[in-house]
Amino acid sequence: MSIADQERDDVLLRRAGKGDEEAFTLLYRRHQAALYRFALRMSGNTWAAEEIVQDVFMTLMRDPKKYDAARGTLGGFLYGVTRNRILKHLERLPREVPLEEKNEDGAGPGIVLQDASTPAIQAEKRERAEQVWAAVLDLPADFRDAVVLCELEERSYEEAAQMIGCPIGTIRSRLHRGRALLMARLEMLRDAPRRAGVPWPAGVAK
Amino acid sequence: MKCAMTCDEFEAVGLDAERDASLADAERAAAAAHAASCARCAALRDSWEATRMELRSLARTTALDTPARVEMRLRQQFRTQYHAPKVRRTAIAAAWALAAAAVLVGAVSWVNWRSSQHRVANNIPANSGAASANQQSPGQNTGIDPQTLVADNELGDFTLLPGVLPADTDDAAILRVRMQRGALGTLGLPVNEDRAGEWIQVDLLVGNDGLPQAVRLPE
Repeated sequence: MSIADQERDDVLLRRAGKGDEEAFTLLYRRHQAALYRFALRMSGNTWAAEEIVQDVFMTLMRDPKKYDAARGTLGGFLYGVTRNRILKHLERLPREVPLEEKNEDGAGPGIVLQDASTPAIQAEKRERAEQVWAAVLDLPADFRDAVVLCELEERSYEEAAQMIGCPIGTIRSRLHRGRALLMARLEMLRDAPRRAGVPWPAGVAK
Repeated sequence: MKCAMTCDEFEAVGLDAERDASLADAERAAAAAHAASCARCAALRDSWEATRMELRSLARTTALDTPARVEMRLRQQFRTQYHAPKVRRTAIAAAWALAAAAVLVGAVSWVNWRSSQHRVANNIPANSGAASANQQSPGQNTGIDPQTLVADNELGDFTLLPGVLPADTDDAAILRVRMQRGALGTLGLPVNEDRAGEWIQVDLLVGNDGLPQAVRLPE
């Protein structure tokens, strides 16, 4: 068996199922970032995203046979499980966005500004990023799903359809609706700056 | 120029025509042609492109990894799930092995106790069984009855071993043993080499110091 074969997801998963911690860790490190970003962008909550990713890998650990290689990639399977967890989370807490949580640079949760521009420009970028994210989080879950997968995760329509488990036409339709809502929301935000003292993003989104 | 795509169609399909791999080339061309001829749809497309740029920017700023504590918790859980049962299985196996050993020791002790009780009831010396077992092989070879190992207490016919004085034999005990004739040589007695391998019964007169003082050949 070649090194490439040994590091295939299904091979690693089989080894993990037999108690190989290294194989499980490799799988986790390979998929965690994408799943965490997806969960974070869908939920807007770092704590929830962390819990969801942990829950997804706990599920994989407890019952690795749930994944059927014949039905698609492990990444797609994990995305599907993550999406289900996110939707459950959103159903339970339709709009759970931490109002007070801020990073050290004052940005909203999960936003990290990595450029070296002046504080004024950074503040402007930060505010705009918060507005965009608030607009994304304000989308209904199905539209948000499609927008996050296709626009933020940069998945193709086919990949998004496979992950969500719907026809491409449905993805196209949800994207169309999501885009329209998003553009309307962002246009409105451009014209109506946030009032001082109103916490992000609840004050923006409502 | 008449457009092949309407504004509604452009909004639904043409806005993202460049990315939608499921569209035919003709549909993409129609979308481009419509945007070129329709100012409203062209503005819509520009607005969407601006929004998309902002989404890309948001994607870059939210490109984070899961906190390290999640990996730590998962690995801990993994160890608990896969290694704890192994330890538990080993402990259970060890407990069963200990229990089996205890039962075995108990059974052997019981059998020994029963044997000793039987010997007491029948007035049989404790080592007679072992002695007869040990001596059975040579006895069988020579045709000597094991019961003849019981020596009589008569002190007559004993031959003092070389260097032993007659007075030394006052408190001696008589011990009947079975040995090869050649072993008499170690007691200082002359041995016929031709019969050295022959098994014989010998009465030894053993002094208080545990050393043989005299020897007698019963037959």
